Amino acid sequence: MLIQYILVLFTIAVLLLFLRKRGTTKSAASVKLAFMLFVVFGIYAVLRPGDVTVVAGWLGVGRGTDLLLYALVVVFTFTTLNAYLRFKELELRYARLARAIALRQAEPPVSAGQGPGAERS
Amino acid sequence: MTDWSEVWLVVPVYNEGQVIEDVVRHARQTFPNVVCVDDGSRDNSADGIRAGGAHLVQHPVNLGQGAAIQTGVEYARKQPGAEYFVTFDADGQHRVEDVLSMLERLRSEPLDIIVGTRFHGDTAHIPWIKRVVLKTVVMLSRRTRKLGLTDAHNGLRVFNRTVAEQMNITLNGMGHASEIVEMIDHRKWRVAEEPVTILYTEYSMAKGQSLINGVNILFDTMLKSKAH
Repeated sequence: MLIQYILVLFTIAVLLLFLRKRGTTKSAASVKLAFMLFVVFGIYAVLRPGDVTVVAGWLGVGRGTDLLLYALVVVFTFTTLNAYLRFKELELRYARLARAIALRQAEPPVSAGQGPGAERS
Repeated sequence: MTDWSEVWLVVPVYNEGQVIEDVVRHARQTFPNVVCVDDGSRDNSADGIRAGGAHLVQHPVNLGQGAAIQTGVEYARKQPGAEYFVTFDADGQHRVEDVLSMLERLRSEPLDIIVGTRFHGDTAHIPWIKRVVLKTVVMLSRRTRKLGLTDAHNGLRVFNRTVAEQMNITLNGMGHASEIVEMIDHRKWRVAEEPVTILYTEYSMAKGQSLINGVNILFDTMLKSKAH
């Protein structure tokens, strides 16, 4: 079927794109491994959709498509939460950076008597 | 002892140009040291702060009230002779008299931090919906109840150097009040409450944090405990 070719080619393209972007730290290694497994599973699922339905049957889900959908929801939730936490972490770093700049440029008041009060009419 | 030069008022300011100068002037009649953290205001707040005679620390971008308080505390604790620290709202809803009685207590009793509470005696001056929401927040927080606090989201707090040195607010937004309660619990700060009166002026009512924001606070607080 044509859709199988399209999906497999697309998946391989994503994998290649992903692998080309190297240079990040070890901590991401497990994520990369998981992603590769996921891609392999994806290709398999595209080529033999019947097998996915069998697995779905074992698990008590009607069709393979439904199983994929449920898995997608779980993965999406996890990703969203992860992104949220990472975003919060970044926000904190950003706040600390801004704070350092702010403290460096702090303005003590002009001594009493003279000063900015005079500028105002 | 009564010149209060060892006391620092920390005032987070965000778009309070209308009132900030008067608030600072009024506070400075009693407390010589006021640091205002202008949290990236788009109005003339900074001019008001300068004119009022406060120290001005300006966030280059808007970060949120929690971040502003942390910046102010970090600035104040670096100042020579700073012993007592006060977080004070910029919209003029806190009374200097309350700060004075809180400081007296902090000096004479074995305490590290005193938090203002609106819930004492007659609470009729608090808008009823605000009362319900604040009560609910307290009820939902096991920690707040354990510490015997009745109004953890009160912006008026007085604390000593120990607390100022350890203060580390990581929630930039409005969640910092719960975070401070958490710090009180974890770091074993000795805490007490002091009845204070909040001046619900038309201005402060219009500016005050919206009740919807309570949802944000709850959400941030819950996720934070999972993340760290």
